Amino acid sequence: MVGYEQDFEKISEKLEKEAKADEIEVRIIKSDTALTRYANSQIHQNIGQEDLDVSIRAVFSNKTGAASTNSLELDSLKRCLSKAEKIAKYQEGDPDFKGLPKPKEQKNVKENYVKDTAKFTPDKRAQKVKEIIEMAGNEGIDRVYGAFKTESQSLFVANSNGVKKFSRFTSSNLTTTAIADWDKDQGFGWGETCSADVKDIDHIEVGRTAIEKGLNNLNTEKIELGEYDVVLEPLAVQSILMYMDMMGFSAKKVQEERSFMKGKFGEQIMDERVNIYDDVSDPDMIGYPFDYEGVPKERVDIIKNGVANEVVYDSYTAGREDDKESTGHALPMPSPMSPLAMNLLMDTGDYSQEEMVEETDKGILVTRFNYCRPVHPVKGILTGLTRDGTWLIEDGEIRHPLKNLRFTQNLIEAFNNIEGIGEKRKLFAMGYYPAYFAAPALKINDFNFTGTTEF
Amino acid sequence: MRANIFILERCLYGGANMRELFEFGIDELEKKDIQYGDIRLSEINTEVINVKNGTVEAIKSSESKGYGIRVIDGGWGFASSADLTEQGIKKTIKRARKIARASSKASEPIELKEVDIHQDSYTTPYKKDPFKIDLEEKLDYLMDVDERMDIDEKIKVRKCNFNAWKTKKFFASTEGTRIEQDLIKTGGGLGVNVSDGEDTQTRSYPNSFGGDYNSRGYEFFENLEILKHAEETAQEGVDLLDAEQCPEGEMDIILNTNQLALQVHESCGHPTELDRALGTEASYAGTSFMTPDKLNDLRYGSDIVNIVSDPTAEGGLGTFGYDDEGVKAKKVDLIKDGMFEGYQASREGAAKVGTEVSGSMRADGWKNLPLVRMTNINLEPGDWSKKEIIEETDKGIIFDGIKSWSIDDKRLNFQFGTEAGYLVEGGEVTKLIKNPTYTGITYEFWRNCDAIAGKEEWILHGVPNCGKGEPPQTMQVGHGCAPSRFRDIRVGVGKW
Repeated sequence: MVGYEQDFEKISEKLEKEAKADEIEVRIIKSDTALTRYANSQIHQNIGQEDLDVSIRAVFSNKTGAASTNSLELDSLKRCLSKAEKIAKYQEGDPDFKGLPKPKEQKNVKENYVKDTAKFTPDKRAQKVKEIIEMAGNEGIDRVYGAFKTESQSLFVANSNGVKKFSRFTSSNLTTTAIADWDKDQGFGWGETCSADVKDIDHIEVGRTAIEKGLNNLNTEKIELGEYDVVLEPLAVQSILMYMDMMGFSAKKVQEERSFMKGKFGEQIMDERVNIYDDVSDPDMIGYPFDYEGVPKERVDIIKNGVANEVVYDSYTAGREDDKESTGHALPMPSPMSPLAMNLLMDTGDYSQEEMVEETDKGILVTRFNYCRPVHPVKGILTGLTRDGTWLIEDGEIRHPLKNLRFTQNLIEAFNNIEGIGEKRKLFAMGYYPAYFAAPALKINDFNFTGTTEF
Repeated sequence: MRANIFILERCLYGGANMRELFEFGIDELEKKDIQYGDIRLSEINTEVINVKNGTVEAIKSSESKGYGIRVIDGGWGFASSADLTEQGIKKTIKRARKIARASSKASEPIELKEVDIHQDSYTTPYKKDPFKIDLEEKLDYLMDVDERMDIDEKIKVRKCNFNAWKTKKFFASTEGTRIEQDLIKTGGGLGVNVSDGEDTQTRSYPNSFGGDYNSRGYEFFENLEILKHAEETAQEGVDLLDAEQCPEGEMDIILNTNQLALQVHESCGHPTELDRALGTEASYAGTSFMTPDKLNDLRYGSDIVNIVSDPTAEGGLGTFGYDDEGVKAKKVDLIKDGMFEGYQASREGAAKVGTEVSGSMRADGWKNLPLVRMTNINLEPGDWSKKEIIEETDKGIIFDGIKSWSIDDKRLNFQFGTEAGYLVEGGEVTKLIKNPTYTGITYEFWRNCDAIAGKEEWILHGVPNCGKGEPPQTMQVGHGCAPSRFRDIRVGVGKW
């Protein structure tokens, strides 16, 4: 047990004694984030942040109120509890709310905490960034960009029904954009890696990938718009998974008829080789083993052999259905976004990325997508643009770089048009939440490009 | 090993007074042998009320206090903490300096453009403190709104919300600037999701994603009159299910202010951020086609297009007295008579390019580093009326209510979709259409702007969710505009 876990326990015990509510929940998130950003081959932003958030949910019958503070001063905590109780009392009650979760056996106790990551110094981050900058300079690229982040997060959740959970994890993430010939043509390349253990961050590999792509991305050409076979690298696939998650994998979206999964359970909606699941216990994954209500996270097989199988639940959405339990996917409550799958993985296949290219007569290789947004969430239509390296494939070979393209595509149709699934997958940090997705490369036929840009 | 700063025993006995801590912090910074330093200490209170389908989805009150310290000590360093003790301040200064010295491994000398030194205070003008309005009153009102939307079984989700923010902020720099600000922001809105089992649509008022927001008091929320608009908005949501699909092709489009605000945001606000133009967001948010060599040379729009950055605009969500590096708020021309004339610039960026410091450095809370962020990016009013614009449009679509938005990382190719469209034929609105989308290239689009309505129809909208930076920061910004027309734009994108 780490020192502050005991502190958090004392706080929750104190608040439980003070509480007048029928049930209370105390959730404490503690974070320490350090991030070194570089641009134009200079470190231009370099930060260290530490914060915590104490959130209290008070429940009177089926009425809940919530308040939060980032102070551990006793007065602040008492004020926070009092506000949560006051807010709860004002309400008329929600018949769908069935109470705070009860304790449940925690089968997966994996903790992704690596002390070396938590203690990684700004000097060490700066040194690795400097080596990327020097490597790029030696290759004739005097402008590289990116960020090197190391962070640790802890989550404590306790409620008056006996739930008491604590876990922590670390994460390190390095990105590099290399821009060759900044003043004129601008060739873009991207590299990225992510791990709980900072020693796994191969900064030379990330830098080399970005540099090679940047150098090979000069003199881009336009291409006629229309449907093309595409080879999507893992980061591009990760973007698609993220939007599928937001548009369809939550019980709330299904209950409110806002999910493309609604009415499709048991039906084959994608290629039979597609398996998408949420599983924090996977060895590749980073995250807490329980959700923000303290419910153990279960593996949820969302798309199984291409069939719409199940979605993720928190305690509230589970309470709305008969014989349903939370799968452990609550966000910090109350949240209009909850529940959400935050540890998504897609099963690998048997294609190497090279084989996907070799077996393409005419197609497009995509490094990653930019600024994707749903056009019609329930139909699964998404738009976005390619970014940081797009190439034309002809007769099984990468011919030349292309100007970035806009796609407007029904994702469900796209996942029905899968020709090949990559044999490896990569883990990516999602940025906004402590969410991590692992995706393989995909070859998809007839992907619809509807616009182009000037670079 | 105890928690690194949040030692329970210390905290349970209480922290220091915010103002005293602030004074202590700047005294400590001034003692250090550094090129530059500033401290920004703030306390932020928020209140959120979300009502959905007749029940409370969320009522949450939060408070957050802490400080961020920025230093130049060989390179840039920034550290932030919620440890409100003198020991915490000292430790955070030490951390910021250590980070700055690490930055010096790969940093050129940093120059900040000189600015006036101020000792001043600023308070948002408001009539009613939203935090002093009884919670029951706000909740009762939202419940009435919810009930008013409950008109059809095809309405699967009814939602309405109220939001308020109150920030107390202190800023001091080692150059002598001392600023104290009290900022209040308020807003809310409503929306429905409708479904007939075949199709699904959404409709909102006064805009998507929680409505509209201003730097004003509770009076702003009252003046939105969302109760009055609840039934008609819900009905139009239902009507959208049976509306015709947006046609494909090229035609004139008219953007209502709620959508035009986002068009200004994405295609003028972001590309005129100097940090993007200089490449410092290249790996995340992206760069800009509006590079310094194009300043005063690029025809961005038609000669009726005038766009400004104006943090002094009354009531704007991006309105303040001073930015987060102590620069006084001021109005700056970005686009003048259609020409690209100015940037949103920090002191560091302005020194590099030799341009004006715009007073646009803003941080998301105390925890984050200030970045160049939009304030109120406003399209100045023209001399038409919306009625005249419609009457003089032979074939076109009016777009209303943000639904989908996407733009490339240099801010050139964009595609937007709105909740509703209205077909205009022969100078008249003839029918409602669904899933309307339009796409274009930024400068071609603005060059095709041939009509802007006047100040009577000019509205200053608030966009509360602008993302930028690593770690990601969310900023509240304003956009003033009046309905405008754009000629020969591609509409109806994609297969439906």
